[in-house]
Amino acid sequence: MKSTLSVRSLRWIALLAVASLFACKPPPKDGDGTATVNAKGEVTADGEQTKKLVVFNYFRSSAHKSLDPAGQFDSASGELIENLYDKLIDYHYLNRPYQLVPGLLAKMPTLSDDKLTYTFELRKGVHYIDDPCFKDGKGREVVADDIVYVLKRYADASVNTQSYPAIFSGFVKGLDEFRAKTRELGKAMKYDEHEVEGIKKTGKYTVEITLTKPNPLAIYPFASSTMSIYPREAVEKYGEEFARHPVGTGPFKMHKYDRRGVMVFRRNENYQGTYPTEGAPGDKEKGLLVDAGKKIPFIDEIRMPLIEEPNPRTLKFRRGQIDWIGLDKDNVAKMVKRDEKGFHLQPEYAAQFDMYSEPYTATEFWRINMKDPVIGGNSPEKKALRQALAYALDVPGYIKEMRNGRGSKLDTLVPTVFSGAQNEIGFEGYSTNIEMAKKKLAEAGYPEGKGLPEIQLEFRASTTDTRQGYEYHRAQLAKAGIKLKGNFQTFSAWLRKTEAGNYQISAAGWSADYPDPENFYQLFYGPNKTPGPNNGQYVNPKYDELFDKMRFMNPGAERNAIIKEMAGILKEDVPVIIHYEPIVLGVYHKWVKNLKRNMMHNPPFRYLRIDEEVKKTQMPKLKR
Amino acid sequence: MVAYILRRLLYLIPTIFGVALLVFLLFTVAGEDPVRIALGNHASPEAIADLRAKWGLDKSLFAQFGDFLMQILTFDYGTSYNNGEQLSELFAKGAVVSLSLTLPPFLLGLCLNVSLAMLIAYYRNSWFDRWATAIAVMAMSVSYLVYIIALQYLLAFKLDLFPINGYESGLRSIYYLVLPGLIMLLVSIGPDIRIYRTVFLDEIDADYVRTARAKGVSERAVLFKHVLKNALIPIITYTVVVIPFLVLGAFLMERFFSLPGVGDLLITAINTGDYPVLKGLTMYIAIGYSLFNLLSDVLYAFVDPRVKLS
Repeated sequence: MKSTLSVRSLRWIALLAVASLFACKPPPKDGDGTATVNAKGEVTADGEQTKKLVVFNYFRSSAHKSLDPAGQFDSASGELIENLYDKLIDYHYLNRPYQLVPGLLAKMPTLSDDKLTYTFELRKGVHYIDDPCFKDGKGREVVADDIVYVLKRYADASVNTQSYPAIFSGFVKGLDEFRAKTRELGKAMKYDEHEVEGIKKTGKYTVEITLTKPNPLAIYPFASSTMSIYPREAVEKYGEEFARHPVGTGPFKMHKYDRRGVMVFRRNENYQGTYPTEGAPGDKEKGLLVDAGKKIPFIDEIRMPLIEEPNPRTLKFRRGQIDWIGLDKDNVAKMVKRDEKGFHLQPEYAAQFDMYSEPYTATEFWRINMKDPVIGGNSPEKKALRQALAYALDVPGYIKEMRNGRGSKLDTLVPTVFSGAQNEIGFEGYSTNIEMAKKKLAEAGYPEGKGLPEIQLEFRASTTDTRQGYEYHRAQLAKAGIKLKGNFQTFSAWLRKTEAGNYQISAAGWSADYPDPENFYQLFYGPNKTPGPNNGQYVNPKYDELFDKMRFMNPGAERNAIIKEMAGILKEDVPVIIHYEPIVLGVYHKWVKNLKRNMMHNPPFRYLRIDEEVKKTQMPKLKR
Repeated sequence: MVAYILRRLLYLIPTIFGVALLVFLLFTVAGEDPVRIALGNHASPEAIADLRAKWGLDKSLFAQFGDFLMQILTFDYGTSYNNGEQLSELFAKGAVVSLSLTLPPFLLGLCLNVSLAMLIAYYRNSWFDRWATAIAVMAMSVSYLVYIIALQYLLAFKLDLFPINGYESGLRSIYYLVLPGLIMLLVSIGPDIRIYRTVFLDEIDADYVRTARAKGVSERAVLFKHVLKNALIPIITYTVVVIPFLVLGAFLMERFFSLPGVGDLLITAINTGDYPVLKGLTMYIAIGYSLFNLLSDVLYAFVDPRVKLS
């Protein structure tokens, strides 16, 4: 009896399972590039089709922290905010070196004669998206009060714990004091009751911002996604939920919020932006100016599932379910070859996809602890030892062997896509020369490396890539007689060690906060010693004097001459051994148009176009 | 029995307190500084102080521990450092996904693997037993990751039988859960069969089985009425305590198939130093483990009349 019952139950379970499988019709497959919506913009049931949407299928490799512009400083959040909000100023999509252009402003801010006051004039007629936070649900016009409110909230210590101290502290007259007040009063702080001396609304669309001292760099934070413009009504209505309920003026608006699932953005029909009419040399030939002057965005919907693992991402891309992916080390080895002209897809992939390569706006280097008794200090012997290290390293070999060529050797601290970089100032750094390394080692008092203790190198990770890289450098330095010992640890442990000055060499890197050489050279500025970013404790009065002069100058030949002199001092003193700038590679389907990687404007959904005809013909050609 | 259960529940209080203290010390005193992880390189002292205040880490250790105990009592672990979302909501949503992923293969695997192990034990020392054991050992020797990558590539990418990855809530989730569930079931076969086979073999040669056979009871009846019933205690021990861990999901599976379960939440929390998530999940598991331990003790009494709860 018992066994009969269990068989019967099993039959029921099987029947239910089959029935539920039929009941839940498989969802439409990603990557068909279309969806249908009704008049309300909702995806429709069968037979109610009114409009076919052009869909861009992308992904998120990590979940964002917050969609509140002032409350985030991570790239995952920034990538979403870039497409939901607008900033006062922005970066030109195509031009290189990176160039600032007006965003929500009618024109670039004007600077007073004393170089202290910027005047921001908003474009008229720009509206927020429709949202219940507004009186009648209709998005109102962006006005000067919004700038004042956003700047005050940006400085609020209970809202912004990261980006304000990192990129804006000390810039605007009275704003640091306002921040101190927010810390003191907490939630009781009323912005309207506390004026900021340096922020003045001078008209419905104009605001004057007065700096504490002349500083051309003060303009860059206005192009950061953290300083996107939003209405105070949204913050007041949604409170903490504002981090999940964006209300902006950007090219897209939130359609479906699912932080750990699929985020869906829809086109903001009222967006007024247009595609750039000029680009960098070669852009026209690449077809990047075909849509010059046209109204953007071209895409109706962006779907972004969270896919943390690269393997399924690649499979989905190859199936046409994702339109664009970045290439990791393994995929580069398989899909890409590099020759003197650059990177190319292997023929079997070139028939299916297109690719790009673009220098990343960061520099990798080894920082020397100038207080270390063995390798630090300013005596000729110590300098010679550090120079020996710089000569012994084989950075081009490392890039070729360990990074599949995904990098370019740098001679100065500044990435090549910025003004003031090595190509603009004409500077040559160290090149591999084992004989010179041996000579310098002898000058340092360690002929053939005799008597030289193991040099300790601190890494901020313990991944296979890090360890393989270390082995490469260790073998290379050994050729000159220098023994290297790698210490691998977590990022947090590495931070503690380097900030406490408890290291000899630290394998470090710097990613640009803004595209200016100052952001890199400040890493070795004397007054920036620990707890500032100069944790190697490097001090050279001449370097500091030049830095003080350079930081407040506009780009140009005179400034470049100073930068070249500073690069020369760093080469001579070697508080840093400069390695390379990473190069990022990506592949995209042939139906994706207008894609140019822009590190300051990422991802550039607003400019992308999907060619439906190409997609129809290409999809069947994708190989499995 | 009620008195026994109540007494055991009372014993849980010092156990949970001990675990709470350990978890607190581990994360708050000995662990990496979450503020430094969040702020990264070259954070200013002002930024560090502000974030510490925002997360309540500027309070004394006693006050922080008091807050943590209150969170355990109220089952409200506050918000995530990472994204400010309510943890109770995050855990609940994640647990639904994780259980949808792990429970079906767990239950199916239990039925399938116990049956297969009995069959193998029934044919002990035959070629079938030897081959089945060898295959089980081989299946165990292959890494979990290999199963995932190979089957995702073959069944989803090449043959298009399943979606490569993704998730939707409701009934449609089945569409996305079949392949990962199938892999979990497949992975469980090797180790489970090996354990259950050993359990059955221990019983199959016991005196009471020989007596039953001597009395002329059929081999089938011996197996189902005597061996299976007596083997239930080790099987319960092995399976019941696993149940709380089902909520944790299978992080590799969740990561590769983009399933927003608790396992993936846990790994992300480890990577980003999201201590409220880590502390909350650790306490859930500690409490769950203790409760299911108690449940397995109670179940012993049901399946074996010799066990008295007192």
